[in-house]
Amino acid sequence: MTGPRARSLKGVIDLGLRARFLSAVAGWFALVTVALAAPPLMLRERLPDPLATHWGVSGGPDGSMPFAAFLLFEVGVWAVVAGVPLVSVLVRPGQLRRRSARMGLGALLGGSGLFFLGLQAVTLSANLDAPVWWRAAPLGWGALVAILGLVAGGWLGALAARPGPDDGPEATAGVRRLSLGADQRAVWVSSVRNVPLAALGGSLLAAGTGYVVFALLGGEGILWSVAGTLAFVGLVGLIFSSVRVQVTEEGIVLFYGPLRLPRWHVPIRRVERAWSEERYPSGVGGWGIRGLPGSVTVMLRGGECLVLGYVSGGRLAISIDDAENGAALVNTLVARESTGPGAR
Amino acid sequence: MLIRLDLNDPRPLHEQVAEAIRRAVAEGSYAPGDRLPPARDLAAALGINANTVLRALRDLRDEGVLEFRRGRGVSVLNRPNPRSVIEEKLRSLLAEAVQYGYRHDDVIELIRELS
Repeated sequence: MTGPRARSLKGVIDLGLRARFLSAVAGWFALVTVALAAPPLMLRERLPDPLATHWGVSGGPDGSMPFAAFLLFEVGVWAVVAGVPLVSVLVRPGQLRRRSARMGLGALLGGSGLFFLGLQAVTLSANLDAPVWWRAAPLGWGALVAILGLVAGGWLGALAARPGPDDGPEATAGVRRLSLGADQRAVWVSSVRNVPLAALGGSLLAAGTGYVVFALLGGEGILWSVAGTLAFVGLVGLIFSSVRVQVTEEGIVLFYGPLRLPRWHVPIRRVERAWSEERYPSGVGGWGIRGLPGSVTVMLRGGECLVLGYVSGGRLAISIDDAENGAALVNTLVARESTGPGAR
Repeated sequence: MLIRLDLNDPRPLHEQVAEAIRRAVAEGSYAPGDRLPPARDLAAALGINANTVLRALRDLRDEGVLEFRRGRGVSVLNRPNPRSVIEEKLRSLLAEAVQYGYRHDDVIELIRELS
């Protein structure tokens, strides 16, 4: 369907999608803003001014903010974060036709909304009925509430954005294959690395390990939970800051991190076709491994991505250079597998 | 980086790998300044010894196609000389012609007839 009628129909769907998405963003933004602003105002009499807003590694409060600044800061940061999907949709409205992009934006909105609400709940409960900010309750494991809010909100946001069309570039992209003789063997290797993420992961790992060593040597005032969390988050960040992809007759293998472990193997028989397309962190909900099982994007930098379309209907996208050649080899191997002995 | 090897090619493996990398650079998949995947990753994907890949990379460095930088791995320095690309193709053509019983003079004669 490529005539003027089809184009106008697509335009109407785009407009409807955009209007619905923008109204949902506005509604969610208003709801979270009210939920962020109302409780501190209602509890103002029971809160110190200034109130504790930062806790040190020992778990005790070590930073404060005037009440009005705290309120403005929370709402302001939330407004900036919620503005990212809004600007992204206004700049590239076509991305709403892709389910993965919608789910990514939904996850960003839902996750960040519940994260800020969780953060505020933890801050208010620690400050409640404290005479001065430095007498606020220690944070401890309560900080997990905000992390849980982030994960749960991201998941719910992605689910809420799932319904709707899903016709990305793959619907129109042709299948490119290599002319590979029966006595020829081809392999494809490529890699991608997010340098800031690797530096951040390395720094957190070093800091966390330093804290653990300090605590082992008898250092006081160190929270094991904080040291362990720092080291663990740093290690995970370092491992998932780089990925190498290889395509051979055995399938597609993703190797993570400097030690090339863990690895993720996708057999050729699970793949229906592959293609190259442009994807950006704003469309998939940020950097790292994004999405839900069955539709995952390994996003380490915006731009060219190798996308594998599974026989089961799922998708795996990896942001990587030279993706077009990788996709062509995968398609060639898929065609060989389907015509060779033991074809499905 | 896409690397193709011909299983019937009688030439040493490191020459075949060098030709495959030269072709990938000549076709524009890798531009001057781009970093190549590490030799051990290429070797693991091809199922060959990493030293074989390193020898191919060194040959390409001597040709001026690649450069080795301490701590930064191997990157493309220049697009390969068109003459060396044609030479490689001719070598492979001559090797195939010998398999079918053609002498080098026969191939030259065939090229004259076609041109």
